[in-house]
Order: sequence, then C-alpha cells, then structure tokens
Amino acid sequence: MSENPPPEEPRSRPGETERAGGEPPAGAGYAPRDPEHPAAPQEEAAAPGPGSGHEAAAEAEPAYRLSPLTLLTSPLNYLRSYLVPVVVALIAGTYSFNPWMLGGAAVAIAAMVLSGLVTWYTFRYQVGAERLEIRRGLINRSHRSIPLERIRGVDISSNPLHRMLGLAVVKIEAAAGGGGSEEGKLDAVTAEEAERLRRVLLRRRAHLRGEESAPAPAAAAPVPGGAAGPDESDTEVYFAMPASWYGYAVFSLGYLLTPFVALATLFGLISQGLGEAAGDRVGDTAYDLYRLAAEMAFSLLVAVAAVLVLVLLVAMPLFAVVSYALTHWRFTLLRRGDALVAERGLLTRQSVTLEKRRIRGHELLDNPLERTRSAVRLRAIVTGLGETATRAVLMPIGPRRRVEEVADRALTAFRGTLVRHPRAALGRRLLRAVAPFAVAAAAAAFLAPLWVAVLLALPALLGVPLGVDRYRSLGHGDDGRQVSVRSGSLRRVQAVVVRDAIIGWTWRQTLFQRRAGLADLELSVGAGSGGYSAIDASFTESVAFARGVTPEMVRPFLESGEPTETAESTESGGLRSRPGGDDARTGGESG
Amino acid sequence: MWTLQAAIGSAVLLALLCAGAWGLRAVSWEWVPDWLLRNAWWLPVLYAAYAAVRTVVVPRWRYRVHRWEVTADVVYTRVGWFSRQWQLVPVSRIQTVDHRQGWMERLFGVATLEVQTASHAGSSTIEGLGAADAQRISEELAERAAELRDDAT
Repeated sequence: MSENPPPEEPRSRPGETERAGGEPPAGAGYAPRDPEHPAAPQEEAAAPGPGSGHEAAAEAEPAYRLSPLTLLTSPLNYLRSYLVPVVVALIAGTYSFNPWMLGGAAVAIAAMVLSGLVTWYTFRYQVGAERLEIRRGLINRSHRSIPLERIRGVDISSNPLHRMLGLAVVKIEAAAGGGGSEEGKLDAVTAEEAERLRRVLLRRRAHLRGEESAPAPAAAAPVPGGAAGPDESDTEVYFAMPASWYGYAVFSLGYLLTPFVALATLFGLISQGLGEAAGDRVGDTAYDLYRLAAEMAFSLLVAVAAVLVLVLLVAMPLFAVVSYALTHWRFTLLRRGDALVAERGLLTRQSVTLEKRRIRGHELLDNPLERTRSAVRLRAIVTGLGETATRAVLMPIGPRRRVEEVADRALTAFRGTLVRHPRAALGRRLLRAVAPFAVAAAAAAFLAPLWVAVLLALPALLGVPLGVDRYRSLGHGDDGRQVSVRSGSLRRVQAVVVRDAIIGWTWRQTLFQRRAGLADLELSVGAGSGGYSAIDASFTESVAFARGVTPEMVRPFLESGEPTETAESTESGGLRSRPGGDDARTGGESG
Repeated sequence: MWTLQAAIGSAVLLALLCAGAWGLRAVSWEWVPDWLLRNAWWLPVLYAAYAAVRTVVVPRWRYRVHRWEVTADVVYTRVGWFSRQWQLVPVSRIQTVDHRQGWMERLFGVATLEVQTASHAGSSTIEGLGAADAQRISEELAERAAELRDDAT
C-alpha cells in the first residue's frame, strides 16, 4: 500500500472552471493550490477585513481533493469489513495450495487499494459562493451540489485509524426538497481542514441567510463573522460529563445487553468461518474425520460459551460501564454561535452540530430502572436529522435535576404540569397489558399441560403493574410556550415541543374508545419522529387543549361556540361533523 | 366505488383461499393433521361471510363518517369507519398538494387529494372528491400555501 500519489495535475480542469455561482472566477482565489495545505490562513485573514469581507465570503474556493492519506485508510476500512472472508480465503488457499483462492484474495486486496486510489484521484470538493460541489467517480461520474443555505449541520467524526493519521470524516447534512435528506460525505480530510470546512461552511451559510432576512448587506459586511457565524470566541460549555455518570450505564438495558450482542456476532463469525472451511474440504476423503472433529469442536464451543455466559453475567455491569464509557467518553454539550455541539466518544470521537433554529423541542427518556434513581436522558427534536437515536442525544443518562437544569439553559425547559388522562384510560392500559397473555393462559389451561398455562399466566400478572405504570405516565400539558406529551413505561418518553412547531392535529378514536369518550391525540411536528401522541386522552378535553394551543386552527371546526360544553354531543364530541361558515365546502363520497 | 373496490379485493382473496384449500386437499402432505384437511373448506366460507358484510356495510359506514372541509387557513378531514380520525392541517404548513386518479376513480369521475406537510404524521388525504373539484381545490390550496408559507417546517 505504498503507491505514490499520481503526478500532480492542475487542480482546476477546464470543465470545472465554470461554477454554479455564476460570477466570474476571482483570479487569485481560483489558482490551483496544494490540496494538502488548504489556504486556511489567507481565507481567515481576508474575512474580517472591512470592505473585503463581503467578497471574501462570496468568493469560491479552489477545488480540493481529499487527504492523500485516504489512500491508506479506505483500503483498510474496506479490509475491515471483508476481513473474515479474505483471511479465510488466504488461510485456506495457503493450506491447500489452491491458486484460485490465493489469487482471488490477492485480487480482492488489489481491488481495494485500486478503488481507494480511484476514489482519491477522482474525488474533488469545492466550496463555491453559494453551493458546495462534490464530484466523484471514474466510470459513474456523480456531481452533487449542495446549496449552502440548505446545510443543516456539519458533523465531524473520526475513528481510531483516522485519529492516528490526523484525519477526520466530515458529513454535511442538507435538506433536499420534499423533506428528503441529502448528505455529502468527505471521507477523509485532515483534522484542521475539517474544522476549517465547518467554520467556512457555517459562516457562508449564515452570510447567505443573513442577507436574505436583513436586506442591508452594507451593514452586515464589516462583521461577516460576528453577524451570525459561529465564532470560536462565542462558545459556552453547558455540560461536561462527570466521572460518576458513567455508572448510570448499569441502568440502561441496551448497554447491559451489548456484551451478548458482541458475543453473538463473534459466534456468528466463528461458525461462518467453520462453515466456509468445511465447504472447502467437502471433496476431501477426510470428510468424516472432519465432521467428527467439528462435532467435538462444537461441544467444546458450547462448553466455552457456557463458561463465557457465566462470566458475562457476573461481569455484565462492568461491561456495560466500559462500553458505555467508550461511546460517551467526555460527553460535552456546548453552544457555538447559534448551534449546539455535542461531542463524545473515546475511540471514535463524534461531534454533532445542531443548529438552534432547527431544534423544535426535546425529549426526556427513561426506563423503570432509571426511574428508581430518577435518572433521564435528553434528546433533541430536530428537523432533518437522520439517525436521531444516536445523533440527537444532548445529554447522557444522569440525575433528572441536573439534566433539566442543563435543558433549561441550552433550550427551554417545560414548566407546565401534565394533565392526567381519565380513569377509563387506566382500564384500557390494563386490558392491553394483561389481556393477550391472560387469553393465551386461559386457552392453554384447556388445551395444554398446566405448566404452560402457569408460564403464560405469569406475564399476565406482571402486566398489572405495567399497565398501571403506563397509565401513570400518560399525560399532556401546555405551559404557554411549549407543549408536552408523555407516554410509555418500559421506555417512557416525555416530548416537549415548541408551540410554533406544531403543524397539525390528528385525533384517532376506535369504537371502544368512543364508548369511553377517549381519543388518541397526535400532534404533528416537522421534526424528530414526525408525530407525538397523547394516548387515551379525554376527547372533549383534548379538543379544548388543542384549542388552547392553536386557537386559530381549531376554533372554526368546533361544534358550537363553546367547545367544552359540547360533551353531550356524542357523535363527534367537540369537533363538528357538519360544515359551517361561508368559505367552507364539504364533500362526501361517491359510492 | 368503495363497494366495488372491496368486492374485487374480497373476490380475489376468496379465490386464493379456495385455491389454497383445494391445493391442501390435493397435495395432502403427511405432516398436515387430518382434521385440518377435512375442515379446510371452512376457511373460505367464513371469509366469504365476512367479505359480504364488509362489502355491503363498511363503505356505507365510511361514507357516513367521511367529511372534509377546506377553509382559508386549515384543511379539516374526518375519515374512518370502525376507528375514526379527525385531522387538522394548517394551510400555511402545507408543502405539496397532489391530486391523483386511479383507473377506478376515473371510471367514477372522482379523484383523491393528498396534502403533505413536513411531517409524515401530518399529511392527510381526501378521497372521492369530484374530479373537477379536486383539480380546483388543489390549485387553490397550492396558491394559498405559497402565499402563507412561513419558513418554519
């Protein structure tokens, strides 16, 4: 893997000289430059200068390549994912002197190196005046251009290999039209280049947006960085993870189970390796011998596995803490300009930038174990963010008081109280939790041996506290600025959403709920999971609630002037079923 | 139209079930218990009864529940039969307005209007509008949405 990079060629080829921005290329700024040493100092120096500031922010940068060290990392990354087949092929090939095997493995490795070379050779990115252009591909050329205004966040992450070489992966998140998400990924550039890119991209975007909202470019020109751009000086650390918090990993079921998942993967690999090895030797006369050996090996494996599981059970909390610490190492939440930045991770350091204006609210999550120690996690509700489960995390598991305090400083905490749902909801929760197992147990009592019925009756009994707890966690509330709904027991989620972010209401009601006067109210939000439900709320009360939050949206559809007094109208209970008003039209269905 | 749709759907499924039952008898794998073979024809019969009810009752029920209303600012729909759903979508948050006509809908001269917002949960559809109405309303809505559009998604 010691190929030299191909001879340097001019950075800007004829095809790339015309840019999407439309202005003539600024001569000096567009001259070919060394890709390894991006002209960060000049760029930074030019920006704050009075008068030149405007042009500096609007000028296009030359097209850069990825770091040449990518030549090393990308084959290695490929290798990692195909490690097992390649190694098996190599071993099996050497063992039986199968030239096809050896040749195949060699070709595979050569292909990885070659593809790394091709990627590096063809990959170019360029920060233009209005868009980021990414070109790649030798045979399938692709050219992606991301408008800078559309960029929602710039993530920087690096795995140990990257960090050893001083590289980082930059992920640019952008919203494409129609709600889909389109990403640009630069894998990999040098760490300084990554930081510089983040600064430049966010500043240019802020600049573009700033001009949009405030049509006074003259005023904005002298302070292009200070207007809205995230400045290094404008940071405020909200939270740095104290050492004792790693202990909370013990309460998280996911982390308790991690060792088992790792173990399962390991066994999968081993058995796969065995299977492939077996496949290679099928024609052998020693097949029977091999099978015997394999069986012995298998029983040995089972014994080893049993011991391992025992050890794991003992060491599980330890494993949990370690694996939790690996991913959450030195979790930091800080504000940089108008964005929240969450950094974490020991081996792979991950940094996620969430713009404040994209944050629509937050979620507090906990499970019963965590609740005994009143610990919660904090997650942001952000528009246009993929993989929210890991990336929107703002705070790791920690004491509720502290988490809420940070949430209040970083965002806005919910101050209202949650309204309990009617008693009828309790019955429904209980029924849901108990009934399936109870029915199964009853059926088993008639059809199957007694122990099956008892086995099934146990979860039915366990369902009682579960149902009660589910009911207790139900609630919704409104504190004037934010709306909150809460549900769930094993995984209780309290979502807090800013009032303005609500883009619609949906009530759902089954026949059974209608008899009890209940309904599920879902508030649609163009962020996070899209909708948050208040389950089994009283129908009339929830209509009044929605009316309180967005009166202009709900009031025209109420049955009469006063919504709360329409409880006697069982047919639609609050929302009218008949049209009214002058500009309203109705339609039905043609049968 | 719902009746016809349900009828066709039921007929196809019924045919499949009959074929399945017949096939089961014909093949007679040894692992299939005997009582199942003998009673295989019950399944299609039960389903036929259910399908008849569904074809006759459900569309009427749905038609009775089905309401929609478009004001200057909000689109309101009420759909469902067994479980009902009320939905309010403010026009200012609408992102796209589609109107669609399947082959059966064209036969009956109706159309479906689909209103989409940034949240998948906040998108609503109005089925069975008159085709001309759907066209007009979708245009009006799109215009109005562009007028009222605010930046917040």
